[in-house]
Amino acid sequence: MFELDVATRHIKSRRRQTLFSVIAVSLAVGIIIIFMSMMGGYTSILIDSTTENQAHITVMPKEGEDYIHLYHGLENHIYDLEGVEGVSSYFQGEAALQYKHNAEGVLLYGINPEDENRVVNRDKYMLAGEFTSIENPGSRIVLGYKLAKNLDVGMGDSVTAQIPGAEPIDFTITGIFQTGTPLDETMAFVNIERLQDLYRSGDVITGMGIRLSDPYASEDLANGIDRETSYDAISWMEQNAEILTLLETSEGMVYFFYIIIFGISGFGVANVLIMIVMEKMGEIGMLMAMGTSRRSIMLIFLLEAAILGMMGVVVGCILGYVASAAIAAITIPIPPEMYFGMDHLPVVIEFKNFITASVFAMVINIIAGVFPARRASKMDPVEAIYSV
Amino acid sequence: MSEKYIIQIKNLTKIFGDGVEIKALDDVGLNIEQGEFMAIMGPSGSGKSTLLNQIGILDTPTSGTILLDGVDVTKMSDKQRSVTRNKQLGFIFQYHHLLPDFNALENVMMPLLINGVKRSEARKTASKMLEEVGLGDRMKHRPNQLSGGQNQRVAIARALVNKPSIVIGDEPTGNLDSKASDNIYELLRRLNREHNQTFILVTHDKRMAAKTDRTIQLVDGKICEDSRNGNDD
Repeated sequence: MFELDVATRHIKSRRRQTLFSVIAVSLAVGIIIIFMSMMGGYTSILIDSTTENQAHITVMPKEGEDYIHLYHGLENHIYDLEGVEGVSSYFQGEAALQYKHNAEGVLLYGINPEDENRVVNRDKYMLAGEFTSIENPGSRIVLGYKLAKNLDVGMGDSVTAQIPGAEPIDFTITGIFQTGTPLDETMAFVNIERLQDLYRSGDVITGMGIRLSDPYASEDLANGIDRETSYDAISWMEQNAEILTLLETSEGMVYFFYIIIFGISGFGVANVLIMIVMEKMGEIGMLMAMGTSRRSIMLIFLLEAAILGMMGVVVGCILGYVASAAIAAITIPIPPEMYFGMDHLPVVIEFKNFITASVFAMVINIIAGVFPARRASKMDPVEAIYSV
Repeated sequence: MSEKYIIQIKNLTKIFGDGVEIKALDDVGLNIEQGEFMAIMGPSGSGKSTLLNQIGILDTPTSGTILLDGVDVTKMSDKQRSVTRNKQLGFIFQYHHLLPDFNALENVMMPLLINGVKRSEARKTASKMLEEVGLGDRMKHRPNQLSGGQNQRVAIARALVNKPSIVIGDEPTGNLDSKASDNIYELLRRLNREHNQTFILVTHDKRMAAKTDRTIQLVDGKICEDSRNGNDD
């Protein structure tokens, strides 16, 4: 493989240009790996926190109805479906909470804490008290920490709930939670039977949350429930369609930038190769005189592009890894309620990102090599030899 | 009859240019025997180098045929031409055209490697060839570490390493002083006698041409004189 010999010697003989083009390629690869790691981090945090903090599927009453009646049968049916890990029926109603002169509108959720914990792990988010304290039908309430702050209440305090059409009733605060989402300001939990009593609704619910072992199976399962039961089952993907579309769009946009970044580095490589071709005209002519085929001449310069690309890719991968790891290690002072309780920039270092960036860079580099390589291979040997 | 000629050129014409046409070779006919040591002379622009490049199949004629060893090279594909150049032809130019990033030995190995010879074998053959041209002690030197005469010797070793039947030289001593020229000439002559290879040299140097077996004079793309010099063995 004399072509490889010639290619490596050409590169070695032009150290400075080689260095610069390798820097260009490695910067492109490195930056793109960092980008991908950060994008991946944000995406996974967004999706994780979405699938952690909410039911994967929510079953709503039939169209035109306010409640799901006789829900125990539905509950059992759904429990039997494959991949279902938890089902939590809830009764939701609007209310105003009052403490001294402070009043806040809230969404009151009547739930069974044990069931609810299986759908969304509420225990995890408890700042104080126990989520399970509302297990028995009593006048106990668990509320978000911001709501508690706005009402200026703490554990053990008593708040008055104003429910439309019912007498005001006092609840004792037995738990405060913090999820890092706007729900902290508007959400409160009480026992389901207690709430049903207050609304005088009887044993009905306004909805049902379902958790699956695989969140990505929820679309299919929701459609199945829709068809089988005629209740309105909505997956988390449907509920968060806007966010998911936004993520997809931004990913598309980012790829556009990747192409531009790689394109710029590709021009760097092409530039070096064009210079080598111009400089080595006599040599190319002589190689042809010695019997080197045009294909081999082309191969020599494509190999040079590949070698420059490979060096850039290796350095770029190391650069990308180190920089991504460094970014992941930095603690940043952001208010936890702003970004899902994060105190680090979300970075996911994934092997496939390195592969994507490397393959991408190699392909663009080789494309960049095609023009100079073709130019060299199309030379007239006589002209090339006598050009010196 | 025809077997005795290694090169047979018939009605060879080469016209350059699209708009203003220049007839570089005008209906040239020439037969060259195996082992001949000949010179092509003529004023600038007479078509010497053009003829040489035609014989070296670096260029294609406008019309006419060139038979190398009985095979018409003007009908060859690009690929066949490359293979023929590699196996049957050796080139020496005025400027040595050594690959500057390779040392003397590697430069001489190159035609063998292009031919697909194994590296170890190529190294052996190339070092023997370098010893033959008197550079056994300069194998690891790069072109920029060698004198003009030495580089031209490396170029000669490279031209001959594949044992081509025809060696063509376009002013091989044109860049050298007279002493170095003489040495190169002696070397070429010796190699020609030892290996019975055909040498065709373009030169301006009358002194050198006189020492060859046969001299051809080209004027305006035509052979105007073809003389034997009485130097044959």
